[in-house]
Amino acid sequence: MTLGSSPAPRVVGMALILIGIGAMATSMGIPLDQQGRWGARFFPLAGSITLVVLGAAELRKTASASQMDPRHLPAIAALLALAVVYVWLISAVGYLISTALAAPVALWIFGLRTPLGLGAATLLCPAAYHLVFFKLLGVFPPLGRYFDLLDVLGGY
Amino acid sequence: MDIFPALISVLTDPVLLGWVLLAAVVGMVVGAIPGLTASAAIAMLLPLTFYMEPLPALAFLYVIGKSGRYGGSIAAILFNTPGTAASAATQIDGYPLARQGKASKAMKVATISSIIGDFTGEILLIVGVAWIAALALKLGPPELFAVYFAAFIVIGSVIGKSVTRGLASAAFGILVAMIGLDPISSTERFTFGSFDLTNGIGLVPLMIGIFVLGEVFTQIEERGNAPLMADSGDDAARNGLTWAEYKPCLPHVVRSSFIGAFIGMLPGLGSAIAAFVAYGEGKRRASNPDAWGRGALEGVAAPEAANNAVSGPSMAPLLTLGIPGSTIGAILIGVFLIHGIQIGPTLFLTSRDLIYALFACGLIGIVMYGVIGYFGAAFVGRFIIRLPTHVLYPIIFLTSFVVAYTSRGNLFDVYVMVAAGFAGWAMRKLDFNPAAFVISFVLAGGAEEAFRQALLLSDNGLMIFVTRPVALLFLLIGAAALFMRVRSLNRQARDNALGSA
Repeated sequence: MTLGSSPAPRVVGMALILIGIGAMATSMGIPLDQQGRWGARFFPLAGSITLVVLGAAELRKTASASQMDPRHLPAIAALLALAVVYVWLISAVGYLISTALAAPVALWIFGLRTPLGLGAATLLCPAAYHLVFFKLLGVFPPLGRYFDLLDVLGGY
Repeated sequence: MDIFPALISVLTDPVLLGWVLLAAVVGMVVGAIPGLTASAAIAMLLPLTFYMEPLPALAFLYVIGKSGRYGGSIAAILFNTPGTAASAATQIDGYPLARQGKASKAMKVATISSIIGDFTGEILLIVGVAWIAALALKLGPPELFAVYFAAFIVIGSVIGKSVTRGLASAAFGILVAMIGLDPISSTERFTFGSFDLTNGIGLVPLMIGIFVLGEVFTQIEERGNAPLMADSGDDAARNGLTWAEYKPCLPHVVRSSFIGAFIGMLPGLGSAIAAFVAYGEGKRRASNPDAWGRGALEGVAAPEAANNAVSGPSMAPLLTLGIPGSTIGAILIGVFLIHGIQIGPTLFLTSRDLIYALFACGLIGIVMYGVIGYFGAAFVGRFIIRLPTHVLYPIIFLTSFVVAYTSRGNLFDVYVMVAAGFAGWAMRKLDFNPAAFVISFVLAGGAEEAFRQALLLSDNGLMIFVTRPVALLFLLIGAAALFMRVRSLNRQARDNALGSA
């Protein structure tokens, strides 16, 4: 059922079946409505069963070579780690400090190596985003749980 | 005839015209940047439009979608890299023309063809949409659910390389949409005891993750592969476009415009399919098929007309049934919802003036991107080649976080955006279909509501869907689309196997 080669049908098929079974089990935990009908359970269950059936169909495909290029995986893992740490940092120390830390790391991952560029990003990115989103648009900024530079600078 | 007063009202509003002009420029530039799509730009700009009036907000994003489709042709012709999937067919003849020093001529053909295609689609939408809406008002819950069902099947199975993974993407979209409280019984579903999940998954962070952050992950793999620009050509003799040169393109443009408009009306198929169908059909009917692929102007005109003709009609299922025909339509739902506008058949009763003003903005936007593109496409190309991607994508990365937060002022949404971004990248790598995932996510709520209302009306349970003729017809359309797609892929796989044997 595929056009050309597609990566690892067995792995994908097994993953679909496992996710589908997990979703089916969770769906069966959704309470019935007052008349004892499936109500809120029907759609989640239909989606879960569809995943299991499609996973089984995927298993029947012939295996083919993966299209992933492993050379880029470290950079992708680094960017994913940066993304998660950046959100956590926003919640811990507020938007300004976390963005000042994340901006040069993101540029470095994409290949920028000049100290001037990285330093400029540290200062300009938090200032520019703060100005546009939290000052001009009036969005209330995410404040740090432990410390927030806005408290020192005079608050929001 | 509501369109004429709407046109006058838009033309006499300089602020609105300013938004349309800005959208024409932004869409063209974003569409021309390899890797960035109009969908990504619209997803990222969506929360900003929450602070605007409904018409400027909708017009701004709608015109970005239109000019973004056109902008893809600039990258296809100049860089041999399609700016959008829809312009991949344009590249086949566009880049050989650029190599011959006729890049400006090719871009002029692409511009004129895009304008004709886009106008055709928009006019068909304006003429036909109220009629479709009137028909849609007669559909009951069983028929509506059947339309949703057909949309799920078509969206999941027709786009992408794999039917099973496309349908699985649609199923994932449905399951993710089920997270939160059931809107009818307030029962918790898939919340796993998390308070944040009881509010459900937000559309904006999900789309920013899939279309913007997912693309940033993809672009990591492209580091160091800067596009090379073909000479846009200063030779007036080679780059001017005469009527005699464009005349043979016209039949292809007219045919492709109707092909694009028809494909645009079908949910989920989109510009890329329209462009390739039009290219194939054009080559089959061409008097010079051997020249196609080596720099035929008709080979640029046909796909460009088709991919832009999709834009207007793809709004028809969204405006009349609340079913987005494209990812851009799915994003526009967010704008309608945030401004309290109920989309669906009653839209033409409650917000008729707004909708026709939006169509008028679409028509004016086409003229604007056409004029800018005809005289300035080469300049846009030169601007893009100077953009340092190793700075651009980190900036987009950082912007996606603050935009995801802005939508609801909630850091949980930012975590959702990160998860969706990684999932979006993984889906592309594994031949899943991010567009089917997002569109199904948007459709799931309406489909479930229609399904449960239909069951309440029914004395025979699920049999209501086969005893109502219109509902049965749509169920059969969905099943037939799936059957034909599987058959076509099996035939291609057999041909490939025979070819390599």
